[in-house]
Amino acid sequence: MLPKNKPTSIAFIFIALSSFHAAEEISFNQDIKPILSDRCFKCHGPDAKNQESEFRLDTHEQATADLGDQFFGIVPGNIEESDLHWRIWEDVEEDMMPPLDSNLSLSDDEKKLLDQWIAEGAPYDEHWSIKALPKTVDAPTSESKWVRNDIDRFIEQGFAAREVIPAEESSREKWLRRASFDLTGLPPSLEDIENFLADKSEREYETVVDRLLASDAYAERMTSEWLDVARYSDSNGYQRDAERRVWPWRDWVIRAFQEGMPYDEFVTTQLAGDLLPDATQDDVLATAFNRLHGHLMEGGIVLEEYRVEYVADRTQTFGSAFLGLTTECARCHDHKYDPISTSEYYSLSSFFANIDESGLIAFFSDAVPTPALTLSNENADKEMAKAQKRIDSLSAELAATNTSPGAKTAFDKWLESKPNLDWPGRVAWISFDELDGRNIANAAAPDVPAKTTDLNVLVPGVTGKALQFTGDDKLEVFDTGHFPREHPFSASVWVRPNQHAPRESIFSRGGGADDAASMGYEFMLMDGKPTASLIHFWPGNAARVQAKEAVPTGQWSHLIMTYDGSSKASGLKILLNGKPMELEIVKDHLTKEVDNWHTPNGGLVRQHLVLGERYRDRGFVKGQIDEFQMFDREISDLEARLLYKMESESQILDTSNKTEELYSHFLATSYLPAMSLRSELQAARSDWNNVMDSLEDISVMRELEEPKPAYVLTRGAYDAHGEAVTANTPEALPPFPEDQPRNRLGLARWLTDPDHPLTARVTVNRYWQMIFGDGLVRTPEDFGSQGSNPTHPELLDWLARDFIENNWDLRHLLRQITLSATYRQSTFGDKSSIAKDPENRTFCRSNPNRLAAEMIRDNALAVSGLLVDKIGGPPVKPYEVAVSFKPMKPDDDDGLYRRSLYTLWKRNAPAPMMVAFDAPKRDVCNLRREPTTSPLQPLVILNGPQFVEAARVLGEKLLAKHQGDRTAVIEEAFTLLTSRQPDQMEAKILGDLYQAQRAEFDANPAEANALLEVGTSPVSLYENPREHAAATIVINAMMNINESLIKR
Amino acid sequence: MKKPLCTGFENPLGMSRRSFLNQVGMGLGGLALGSMMNPLQALTNNGPALSGTHFPAKAKRVIYLFQSGGPSQMDLFDYKPRLNTEHGQELPDSIRKGQRLTGMSTSQASFPLAGSPFEFKQHGESGAWFSETLPHMASIADKLCFVKSMYTEAINHGPAVTMMLSGSQIPGRPTAGSWLSYGLGSSNKNLPSYVVLTPKVAKGQPLTSRYWGSGFLPGRHDGVSFRADKDAVLYLNNPEGVSRSSRSKTINHLKEFHEYQVSQQSDPVLEAQIEQYEMAFRMQASVPEVSDISGESKATLELYGEGVTEPGTYAANCLLARRLAERDVPFVQVFHTGWDAHGNCPEKVRTNSKKTDQASTALIKDLESRGMLDDTLVIWGGEFGRTNYCQGKMTKTNFGRDHHPRCFTTWMAGGGIKPGYTHGVTDEYCYNLDQGGVHVHDFHATMMHLLGIDHERLTYKYQGRHFRLTDVHGHVVKEVLA
Repeated sequence: MLPKNKPTSIAFIFIALSSFHAAEEISFNQDIKPILSDRCFKCHGPDAKNQESEFRLDTHEQATADLGDQFFGIVPGNIEESDLHWRIWEDVEEDMMPPLDSNLSLSDDEKKLLDQWIAEGAPYDEHWSIKALPKTVDAPTSESKWVRNDIDRFIEQGFAAREVIPAEESSREKWLRRASFDLTGLPPSLEDIENFLADKSEREYETVVDRLLASDAYAERMTSEWLDVARYSDSNGYQRDAERRVWPWRDWVIRAFQEGMPYDEFVTTQLAGDLLPDATQDDVLATAFNRLHGHLMEGGIVLEEYRVEYVADRTQTFGSAFLGLTTECARCHDHKYDPISTSEYYSLSSFFANIDESGLIAFFSDAVPTPALTLSNENADKEMAKAQKRIDSLSAELAATNTSPGAKTAFDKWLESKPNLDWPGRVAWISFDELDGRNIANAAAPDVPAKTTDLNVLVPGVTGKALQFTGDDKLEVFDTGHFPREHPFSASVWVRPNQHAPRESIFSRGGGADDAASMGYEFMLMDGKPTASLIHFWPGNAARVQAKEAVPTGQWSHLIMTYDGSSKASGLKILLNGKPMELEIVKDHLTKEVDNWHTPNGGLVRQHLVLGERYRDRGFVKGQIDEFQMFDREISDLEARLLYKMESESQILDTSNKTEELYSHFLATSYLPAMSLRSELQAARSDWNNVMDSLEDISVMRELEEPKPAYVLTRGAYDAHGEAVTANTPEALPPFPEDQPRNRLGLARWLTDPDHPLTARVTVNRYWQMIFGDGLVRTPEDFGSQGSNPTHPELLDWLARDFIENNWDLRHLLRQITLSATYRQSTFGDKSSIAKDPENRTFCRSNPNRLAAEMIRDNALAVSGLLVDKIGGPPVKPYEVAVSFKPMKPDDDDGLYRRSLYTLWKRNAPAPMMVAFDAPKRDVCNLRREPTTSPLQPLVILNGPQFVEAARVLGEKLLAKHQGDRTAVIEEAFTLLTSRQPDQMEAKILGDLYQAQRAEFDANPAEANALLEVGTSPVSLYENPREHAAATIVINAMMNINESLIKR
Repeated sequence: MKKPLCTGFENPLGMSRRSFLNQVGMGLGGLALGSMMNPLQALTNNGPALSGTHFPAKAKRVIYLFQSGGPSQMDLFDYKPRLNTEHGQELPDSIRKGQRLTGMSTSQASFPLAGSPFEFKQHGESGAWFSETLPHMASIADKLCFVKSMYTEAINHGPAVTMMLSGSQIPGRPTAGSWLSYGLGSSNKNLPSYVVLTPKVAKGQPLTSRYWGSGFLPGRHDGVSFRADKDAVLYLNNPEGVSRSSRSKTINHLKEFHEYQVSQQSDPVLEAQIEQYEMAFRMQASVPEVSDISGESKATLELYGEGVTEPGTYAANCLLARRLAERDVPFVQVFHTGWDAHGNCPEKVRTNSKKTDQASTALIKDLESRGMLDDTLVIWGGEFGRTNYCQGKMTKTNFGRDHHPRCFTTWMAGGGIKPGYTHGVTDEYCYNLDQGGVHVHDFHATMMHLLGIDHERLTYKYQGRHFRLTDVHGHVVKEVLA
């Protein structure tokens, strides 16, 4: 027989191959590809550009090509003429393959296999996992009584091939225990056990599975597994690791599993919910999946470097979770093993780049990284709709009022009154004519002069003097210009730039540039172009306009910016030398506050308006500023013109001509009805803004209208742009559908096409692994050349096709698996079968898997009755957070007793108990936990307050229930913890322990009381604390017996 | 002779393939145990990945005194008088060469050079330079080996520390101690093989548990961070009310229980669990024993200096590191934080020198007096250096220095290291490397080499790729080997 197994260790290859010397025919995928991939492709594989040899072994065409000088790597059917044959058997160092210092080698059996393959014509075959998923897969027929459903037919076939026999059926109790943990993560209750044992309906297994699948606990269990895939964390990771509010996404996942959302929809919504037609808030919320990677909050980094990193993380997650392909290699060079070129990698990753994000999140504000979704609710929706209605009607009214006959009449009257110019609302006016130490007079606030440093110096200005800035030294203007975003304002300034630079800060108010995500308002020259912005979080939540024209260097220009309080880019204007500039709208998505920056502890920073410099931004280097004025309103064109003409002191208004300009000025400064409407409008905007600002945001995906230009990054370096690429899927996979848009939605449609070779295979494999501990493919994250071949390829295909045909229904999939005879097998297999198949590749027994970390803790909570059965909500802090690397104060309420999937996950200080039991750190997408044993694990269960308290509470309950009958206490606790009764000997050993512990406490009664104080749940002291304490120890010991921790 | 199809690999050690083969023997290739095990095997097989070292180890253990924050090389070891003569002048463009700066100073309009305010002198026969802030270290100049030409690509703390400890800027790779734990295991079964000692009062850039994480290696290779409080290890102590004798009874009965089950049906999982629980019980005694310094002589305590009796100080951690090394813990990582001198650089250099100088020196002396320095590799260094130019405002007496990845100084001492030697030269401005550049990967390769491991051959297959600490880079720096 052929070996069905992909060799994974030298030792194993030896065993596997020694049993089949006279193999009949070679399977390229099963036998040859794994060898070529692991030993040869590093230098002779798909990464043609980065290997020293041009010879390639990854395609038949290349492997058999004429290499010149009558050399051929492979001559099909002719070993003697094939250089490959000679080179692998070579023992002269210089010529041997693989070379000595590659640390790779071939065994003699592998060499023979390669020879045989060449002799048989060196046939190549498409890699198994990218072969189209068959439209139909027939289950083998079987007459065997062992078989319960189609899964078993495939598995049974494998038994015969490997000459193993299945393990005996698990006892009903053990099956129930396994099924309960596998499907819900919780143990069966005593009642569950009794009901199951009593059910003689012949549908009792189905009844149990259906009950479990319908429970909320099932949705929580499935979510718990998905959190590893989604690298879910309640904190941002990297160095600062601040907490973030992403649990609403986790609750979306729970709801999806509760509702039985088809898996294709589950995936599509998370990948592209924002792009779905008529996307709901929930659809967009689901896309937080792609923003759950770490976010850096560390001033000083180069933003683009980390933006690129985030895109790479999404790509990697997509590759591992859905395609089962490792893509990371192709970031720097063509994949060494799989057909993914660097160019294809960047084409794929560009699907995930088209969002308005920053590589750095704000240190100086709580603004959620953009793009963000504001999670609204019915009440807020109502209030905002009300405010919006008022904004709309006031705006209309204002427009009407401005053109009303009444206004015209009032205008005439006003003109007749010979009005003066009185420049209302001028809140800053600095002429820079004199320095008093470091003070510079502010005519609008004579008591509060502005302040500079010694290094900014006075120079001749437009009038009198001006201030020349170093670029590193600010002029600070105190206590003015503090505007929320509904507040209109204007500023006027003369500037004389020394050069054109990418960024030069003229004036701004805010927490600084990148470190505050630019929250605030700012007026900059960017390559000389005046640019005005109001920003909540740059770049995704901001309004910015930029002039199309640059101001000249080396000469004075007059600039004005005005803002109308609308939070819209259209509400921003820039005037050059009295004339409106032609503007380009750069950003027009300002939805949240612009004036709430602070340190992480709430401390105020950089409170005031600054000129010429900005925190960690580029200042106005050697630039000069003169005549700075600010108004707390939108100034009129007439005022703007006069400011340019430097007649800002003028009181005289020329009313000789009845101009449009005069009329606008009248409306802006003197027409009471308009003024009062404007102030009402501002109040209505304030109402809307306040409700909006009170709502929480979550980072999600929101596609940019224009795709960002994407490039191959040479050697993966963020700043080394190579050729331009556009969104596409790798060529070796099915083509991107022509009728789909080249965005994430199209990508999701491509991914969930019923004939996609990978998606369903990868998925059913992962869930098979969730149930059995091992997948049919043992490398769930790698279905490529370096991954394992499936142990049961036909079963994998059958499950995948069946899954798709049943509308990607996970409950259907899990139901079939758990109702199979395969699943019913005991963990104690047949001895000779174990010897023949130590790795259980035939699934001829159940694997004795240890409970996942979450289950170990949830089990203790469940059996003790402490478990608080509440679904969703903010993360909680159980006892263990007090001893994490960054200790926190644990909750003092229900938070101590919720299921472990709700435990606060901090990437830099993950829940220590969970980590001790092999939970991944969740830095990256993880599809498989590596079970390990370490002496640190027993300490957790023996000493951790969560477990000691649970034992105490259960002890108290059982002692009361059984009126102190030790045997009964032991029996019930044992049954709760293992789902079976102890046998006589077991009961005796536990009874002895009970007695020994009681003796300990009798000798030291104070110790008993001390033990009973562990945990915050109240002790209604059992009449005999020593007996209670002894029971606590015994029950805690039972939590440590093998059957409590290992699925049997 | 046939024309070769492939030129093969470059030989990293410069030895002939034949001699390489002879030294290495076959069968030492770093097989990835974890990735090929079924759960049963994983639960029962916790042996090291290597069955021995690749070549004879010069050092049996490492104590890594990590100076987090980025110590200022030109204020401590790398004497640059030119910075003093050009103090206040602009960093020449010919030196900066447009290389990237951090987001903190890149927008600065000017980059004035800042000379070190400290006096420098040469010490010992080797004539190594030390600033006046490090009098103790200066006294053991001839025992230290300096690498003045360390460099990295990372320009910020998180990525740079992650790089220095795991060989990658991006979180998720195993750290050096985890690789060792994976490769060699530990000869002390009662203590973890990778212990991390952090300051109780940490100033400056935060530490994260990822800095000693096992990445994709099995979780048991995580560094175990000893806490400076009653539970040095997570839940080490029995709960209140449970005495050692009570616990011993529990462990014994659990053993009896499991042995009974084994007698009914033999099962390696059960057998592994029995051992696991006994080991935990022993660790409950061995960890407090190692942390208990009451048996240390007065002379020893004085050697380490101020704070040595206060758990969690740098001095106490250095002493604890020695005690762990004595008990054959193969990798001890001591963290000191606070070197990040963006502002008040002179003051920061002075205080952090004071906090670390004596105890670092004491550790070397103490190891030596116990005959342990020969097979213990001690490393002192941070994640990057600092800029020669001033960050922020320069005044007559004060200035700041930004992060500088292009050159920094690390020293090593002990097992297999050439004492009294300085490797690598930086330019007169302490900005670029003149010769002997040692990349982080080279540093790792060298460290592994001293421990008897070929860095290219300790690998772990994860997501289809054979990973190693040095990624696909790294050359052993032969010059620093004794």
